[in-house]
Order: sequence, then C-alpha cells, then structure tokens
Amino acid sequence: MKAQLRSELYKLRSTWTVASVVAAMLALVTLAVLLHGFGLSASRLTSLPDQRGVFTDVGVNLGVLFAGLLGALAITSEIRSGTIRPTLLVTPRRGLVIAAKAVTILAAGFVAGVISAGAAAGAGGAALASRGLTIRLGAGDYAQLILGGGAAAAMWALIGLGLGAVVRAQVPAIVALFAWLLFVENIIGGDLPSVNRFAPGALAQALAGQQRSGTLHTPAVAALLLALYAALAVVAGRTATTRRDVG
Amino acid sequence: MSAEPQAQQGTSAAGGSPAGPVVAVERLTKRYGRQVAVDDVTFSLDRGMITGFLGPNGAGKTTTLRVLLGLAEPTAGTALVFGRRYSHLDHPARTVGAVLESNDFYPGRSGRNHLRVLALAAGLPFSRVEEVLDAVRLVSAAARPVRSYSLGMRQRLGLAAALLGEPELLILDEPINGLDPAGVHWLRTFLRRFAGQGGTVLVSSHVLAEVAQTVDRVLIIDNGRLLADATVDELARRGQSLEAAYLELTTADLS
Repeated sequence: MKAQLRSELYKLRSTWTVASVVAAMLALVTLAVLLHGFGLSASRLTSLPDQRGVFTDVGVNLGVLFAGLLGALAITSEIRSGTIRPTLLVTPRRGLVIAAKAVTILAAGFVAGVISAGAAAGAGGAALASRGLTIRLGAGDYAQLILGGGAAAAMWALIGLGLGAVVRAQVPAIVALFAWLLFVENIIGGDLPSVNRFAPGALAQALAGQQRSGTLHTPAVAALLLALYAALAVVAGRTATTRRDVG
Repeated sequence: MSAEPQAQQGTSAAGGSPAGPVVAVERLTKRYGRQVAVDDVTFSLDRGMITGFLGPNGAGKTTTLRVLLGLAEPTAGTALVFGRRYSHLDHPARTVGAVLESNDFYPGRSGRNHLRVLALAAGLPFSRVEEVLDAVRLVSAAARPVRSYSLGMRQRLGLAAALLGEPELLILDEPINGLDPAGVHWLRTFLRRFAGQGGTVLVSSHVLAEVAQTVDRVLIIDNGRLLADATVDELARRGQSLEAAYLELTTADLS
C-alpha cells in the first residue's frame, strides 16, 4: 500500500491538473465572494448568519465542487488516457489502487477545501470591511468554516472518486457533479428543505457552520452522514473497478 | 539492481515452479454478449523463446493478452503466467513486462515521470528509470511531455515501462506499429538478446513480414480460434513458408 500511495502522490505532483483546478477554484471563489460582498445590500450583510451564509455559500460550495472534480479526475483521467492499463499491470490488485487513490485524494480535497473557504473568508471579509461593516465571525466561526470546509471537501473528493470509478467516462462524471451541486440540490433546497438537509451538499454546508432551514444544525451529525456518503461512494467505486474488465 | 541480464533472476520473483511453462493458456474462452472474441484457445510458452502471436485485426489476439494480464476476466478456461493468475503474482512488474497499447500515457506528464510513477508503485528505485530510458534511447526526450512524442517514441516509452522491473517474460501487442526501419531493427536485436539471456517473449502482430525474421515459433489465431501452433523450423520442414501457412489458415473460410 505504501508503494501505491507514493505512486499516486507522484501522479498528482507530476501534472498541472491539480494546480490548474485549484487556481480556477481560487479565481472563481474570489470573484463570487467579491460580487456578493459588494453587490448585496448592507442590510443583508450585517448579522453573523448573513455573513457566514455568504462565505459558506461561496467558499464551501465551490470547495466541495472542485474537490469532487479532483476526485473524479483521479480515476477518469487514467481511464481516458489509458494509463489505467500500466497502473493495473504494476498493481493488479485493483482494490489497492482505489484505496491509494482515496487516501491521496482525501488529502488533496482537504487542502482544496481549506484554500476555498479561507479565500472566501479572506476576500469576503475584506469586501465587508471596506464597506464599513463589522465582521461578526469570531475565531471559532472561522475555524469551523475553514476546517469544516476542508473536511467537507475531503469527503466530496471521495464522492467524486467513487462516482468517477462507477461512471468511468470523464465528461458525464463531471457533468453529474456540477448538475447535482448547482441545480439538483438548489431545487430540493427550495422545495423540500427538510429532505435537503440530508443531501451531501447541504451536509457540507452544515459541517462548516451554515445554519438555515435547509441544513442540519448539528455539525457532528452532518460530518457523520457526509462520511457515510463518502464511504458508500468509495465502496461502490471499488466494487465497480474490481468487477469490470478494463478496456 | 543491474541494467542487463534481464532474465537471469530465475523464477524467484514469480514464485512459480521453474519447471512449468512460462505461460499456460488452457481452453480459454472470452465472450462479449453473444460475440465470441476468444474461442477455446490452448497454448503454452517455454522459456527462452520468441513466439509470434499472429492473426488478422480482430482475431482475438489482444483479448487473449488482456485476459492473460488480468485486465479482463475469462468467460471460461484459465490463463496463467508462471503457474499463477497474473493478479496473484508476488511481484508482477518484476515478472512480466507488457505493452498493450501504444499510447497509454497522460499527455501532460513527461516520459520520465510516467516511468517514475510506475517505478514507485512497483517498489523500484528511480535509478532503474534512468537505466530503461537509456536502454530505449529516450534520455534526451525524457523531460518533455509525452504529447510531444512521435509514435515511435511512445512505443519505446511503453517498452521502457515494461522493462522497469527486469521481467522474465515480455508481452508486446503490436510493438512495431509506428517504428521506423531503424527502430524495427533495434527492437529485433533487443528481443533476440532478451531471449538469448533466457527471457521469454510473446509478440503479437497482424503484419507477418514484421515478425517473420524474429520469431522462433508462431501461434496463428483467427476468429477467436487458434489455427496453428508450430515452430518456424517445423514449418520449414513441411516445406511451407510462414507466409504460405498464414495465408492458407486465415483465408480458408473466404474461399
């Protein structure tokens, strides 16, 4: 397993994929949080829930989206480029390959989530301060936002990996991730907030401290449920990878 | 770990019995839905021989190799290397080196990093990467992304990956595609030397002329069925050229 871990880590380090995904995420997070910070009326940005709401909506949502993307790419780019063949020739025990990918992408997802939530809090806070608004978040709120955002993104990286391993084709896997987080959960959130609380995107928000009608109010429960989704995704991805022929 | 005598490690890495065949395919069948890709194929390979796996496109060569290498499950029958299923080998990369497609690379990764990724997974030192880069004459291009490589360079990079673990068995699927005449000559010489040191080679091709001068033995397959299994000497004794035998067998159902 140690050899496979080192190999997977070297895969992430030897292309520009991770750096470009993180750079795109950072640009998008900064842009979105500045638009909110300067665009929304001051009355909607004064309370703690309002301010945290903006930071989480941007920083955590985009963090988990891009972490999911990294997870999906970890397997689909191997299938698409064909490197899955040499990978499996060296390590024919496919469960080991998926396990090593899960560990490395968990770490990468955490880092992406921390960067995303941190950038949202930093740029968003600067925007609010420049408008003369008092920042209501305390150290504990920041810690939960950033570490919770990191943990949620780590779980979403695993969800992306599992989804990618099951779907195998790169574009459909990525489209599914985007569609779920940007459309499906938005629709459920508006129509059925009591159901949406248990959806993986809303759980990520709850984990980072978001409290509104469509989220759980207990971060620990949210963390547990999100971890369950992630575990199920990895198991499904492992099963799919082990059982099917490699083209 | 030394660069040369690739095949002098005995079967220690494989952990199989030294006496048994290097490859044993028995009554192998692979179906995809109703289509039969490989139909009840049986053959075995002995140490130190270069065997050509010949047949037209779509004959079942690649499918047989994929099952042998653990990438696809057989529908029926067995395919063993050194007495074991590929996935049960203790050190696959140190036992078998294989190239299935000529372009199994991530375009943005350099040739050297492609090999390093595999060396890490196989538990081999980076110094082996430099040795195989040198062996396939890719040192000067090693830092460039693979997307800038010609087809011949990709073939050689694939071969370098197969050689990383100093394997005893080489399995190459259509390795000559895209090689220039000098490259073909180089590969031929390389395979001869590899076999001369006790290594075993299974090389598939649909272009007869490419392998005719290189192989000791041929397996001819068409429509998933093994039609011939003979040494080149045996064919010669029957007064038959390889080409004549091949054409007779693979075009029989056309006439």
